Amino acid sequence: MALAFVFLGVMLWRIQVVHGERYRDDELRQSVRRVRLPGMRGRLYDRHGIVLADNRPGHHIAVYLEELRRPGGWVRTVDHLELQLDTWAQELNVERELSRTDIEMHIRRRLPMPLIAWRDIDERTLGRWAERLAGIRGVDIYTEAVRVYPHNELFAHVLGYVGRADAEPDPEEPFHYYLPEMTGRSGLERRYDTLMRADAGARLVRVDAVGYRHADLAFREPGAGYDVQTTLDHRVQEAARRALEGEPGSVVVLDPRTGDVLALVSEPAFDPNAFIPAITSARWQALLDDPRRPLIHRPVAGTYAPGSIFKPVVAIAALENNLATPDAVFYCPGHFELGRARFHCWNRRGHGSLNMRQSLERSCNVYYYRLALQIGYPAIYHMARALGLGQRTGIDLDHEVSGLLPDDAWKRRTFNDAWRDGDTVNLSIGQGPITVTPLQMAVVAAALANGGPVPRPRLVRGQRPFGDGAFAPRDPEPLRPMNWSAAAIATVRGGMRDVIMGERGTARTSSLPGVVYAAKTGTAEFGPKDEGRKHAWMIAFAPYDNPRYAIALMVDDGLSGGQTAGPKVQRLLSELLQVQGGGS
Amino acid sequence: MNWSAIKWHILRQDWGLTLAMLALAVAGVSFIYSAGFQHVDLPVSAMYQRQILWVLVGLVGYITLAMTDYRQVAGAAWWIYGVSLGLLMLVLFVGRQVHGASRWLSLFNIQVQPSEFAKLGVLLVVARYWARVDLDPDHPGHLAAALALAGAPFILIARQPDLGTAMTLWAIALVIIFVGGVRFKWLLVLGLVGLLLMPVAWVSLGNYQRERIRVFLDADRDPFGAGWNKIQSQIAVGSGGLTGKGYLQGTQNVLGYLPRTVAPTDFIYSVIAEEKGFAGSATMLVLYGIILTAGIRGAWVARDRLGRYIAAGITGLIFFHVFVNVAMTIGLMPITGLPLPLMSYGGSFMVSTMLALGLLQSIIIRRGRRF
Repeated sequence: MALAFVFLGVMLWRIQVVHGERYRDDELRQSVRRVRLPGMRGRLYDRHGIVLADNRPGHHIAVYLEELRRPGGWVRTVDHLELQLDTWAQELNVERELSRTDIEMHIRRRLPMPLIAWRDIDERTLGRWAERLAGIRGVDIYTEAVRVYPHNELFAHVLGYVGRADAEPDPEEPFHYYLPEMTGRSGLERRYDTLMRADAGARLVRVDAVGYRHADLAFREPGAGYDVQTTLDHRVQEAARRALEGEPGSVVVLDPRTGDVLALVSEPAFDPNAFIPAITSARWQALLDDPRRPLIHRPVAGTYAPGSIFKPVVAIAALENNLATPDAVFYCPGHFELGRARFHCWNRRGHGSLNMRQSLERSCNVYYYRLALQIGYPAIYHMARALGLGQRTGIDLDHEVSGLLPDDAWKRRTFNDAWRDGDTVNLSIGQGPITVTPLQMAVVAAALANGGPVPRPRLVRGQRPFGDGAFAPRDPEPLRPMNWSAAAIATVRGGMRDVIMGERGTARTSSLPGVVYAAKTGTAEFGPKDEGRKHAWMIAFAPYDNPRYAIALMVDDGLSGGQTAGPKVQRLLSELLQVQGGGS
Repeated sequence: MNWSAIKWHILRQDWGLTLAMLALAVAGVSFIYSAGFQHVDLPVSAMYQRQILWVLVGLVGYITLAMTDYRQVAGAAWWIYGVSLGLLMLVLFVGRQVHGASRWLSLFNIQVQPSEFAKLGVLLVVARYWARVDLDPDHPGHLAAALALAGAPFILIARQPDLGTAMTLWAIALVIIFVGGVRFKWLLVLGLVGLLLMPVAWVSLGNYQRERIRVFLDADRDPFGAGWNKIQSQIAVGSGGLTGKGYLQGTQNVLGYLPRTVAPTDFIYSVIAEEKGFAGSATMLVLYGIILTAGIRGAWVARDRLGRYIAAGITGLIFFHVFVNVAMTIGLMPITGLPLPLMSYGGSFMVSTMLALGLLQSIIIRRGRRF
């Protein structure tokens, strides 16, 4: 025991007296600085390898608080730093960005990290820095990757954006030192954050009083995230956005064979670059206050009455349950009476006698009132449910909503009233309480395109280690079979074909030369009746044989499906099929 | 107790023990003040005031135990042991979590660390068991029983996880067994078993514990986390030089290079070494030397085997803590989080240490032979 104490004493003597000089040197110029080495966040690509979210180097001016520490309370260090910041701001000819609160906040929450005094400085400031301030104790340039979205507004909602990562304060565990600088805040950036995120590394350098670096003491490699290949197609997205012509609305384009989302457009959009590194509160407020609501991701988070695009669902429900045949004929005098209530057809003059295929072509309301009452609402409900209405599609986005598919139980819960024939009549033409998202209707369009099998929409098809070779593909989810009979699906698809190709199709003016495609228009009333505002819908698939595109397009506030949505789908398809003409 | 009895106690006590203990406690409070001094805007500054309170509470315990016959205290050994085991179980279920480990129990708003009192329980129980008349120190069954007594709380404390404190239990038990005259052969066997168990222990260690050992073996493995403390502590100690930078002048400490959460607790010694230099840090070692000498004296002069074993156990306990902590501070051992007796901030440990020293004083006061 005595020996052990003598040993400790000798070691102390050795460290404190023999080598004391060396340590005192270290300490005097203290000295050791922790330098963060930012990791590389994985990038987002479209299916053809075009970069959708990238990184560029950003230069910040960072303050190393430990080197500026004044003895006594932290207040004295903060005072000192404030003076310094003012001096430096003058030297660099820039505005001071940090308030006293920012500094205090940093000391409380992120002390071991460098405090960023000026974020993302430009070339001129960088030059002035090199001239005047390089080598000053306690400040240095800190370079990190800054997120950039090269297509600006085009992919705004689906990609989302990143924000600064805020670590919980825990002084005992300096591990948050390695946390990435940014985390995904919405869209794909958020959903695939753990895949793309890159932990920071660090270097321990010994610096002296004039900032000269003497030696690297230690090094920890920064991490790199995974690059993510989305299913999006840059050209399809562009064409889809162009087709909307700036009118508020949604476009969804799916590949019905796999569920790959080729385009997901929400208009109006915003520039996600405005969120990097942080959005100003004025700009944020402007986005929030905008009556056109640019922050809503309409195709997955907006719910709307479907209107007549719901009719194919009713038709297939009737056929598949053997409650009606394709030859079922109903007469349309232009209106329909149920008890003392009168329901109109959109064509007040009446359609006359129609079979099922014609009813789709001409979108006759009365036909569906009668058909729905004949087959009963449960058949419709179950078919809609099987096609994914009233539930999330499971797309890889966090803010998806389920819409509403009403049934008897819902009505009892909500209105304390039983389901009535009037409700069935409303539901048959996609009106009443039913709401859907454009994405859900694109899935329905894909199922009709496939003649049954329902795909599950997905946004990511591959990943790879940062910048490293080919993407490892992910298999799409298997399609959900519906086992529709050939006769049933032929009738419904035929009716939708006639919408475009038939002589009396509601969207015959939207046909394309040399192309056979199918669609269904919808015009859904919303808001107070006297305002007469309408959602203009169209679902479509093309080409008619072996469809490659399933589309749902909706304009928030339009005249009718045929007049407003049809020409937009026509324009979109003309671009897509031309583009696709070369093969691929 | 009448006046002459009190006088008898005062006169027969080991003055060196009492004075060295007081000196260390006073130095501890002053340097906790120094470590918290710069953080007037943080709660650390109130630490020294609380530490004074703990010293006073500890002193009351010290005097009480010194006046009490240690055999009476040992009579309650099983009670103390049992209660502390129960408290340890309680900690596992309802303990307060601090940095991923639950070591504390909340009693009337006071945080109590039962593992500190479990040390006393193990000390008393093993000593009493080993002092039994019918005990054969060479019987492997008896040896195993004595080790099992330390093993139960060891497992509970290691699960918290607080491996440093758990290891002290073995130190206590082994010292007692050794002083009790176990055959060399058995010690060898124990050593071998220990060696064989090391890989098993490595596997069962928590990740952060393994990381700490790796950090130690590979000095700069995690220089930004645990390694940072080690490097900064070494710089603090080294830059102290012969006479130090002066009280409240330690820049490593005052400027916060030495993390403020560990400076008053596990790294109090490096604060002293920086501000008082080799002169100060060696003085502290001398003071601990005085206490350990008193411990050895107690084991030597004790009137019975029970007293000898208790004194030996206390000596082993103090020595283990001091050696491991100082060695860690100057970078000779991995960072274990074992505090420095009488100096590191912490109430439970202060009180339990003073209780142990009171017990030691009681043994010396009731000594048999002259020395």
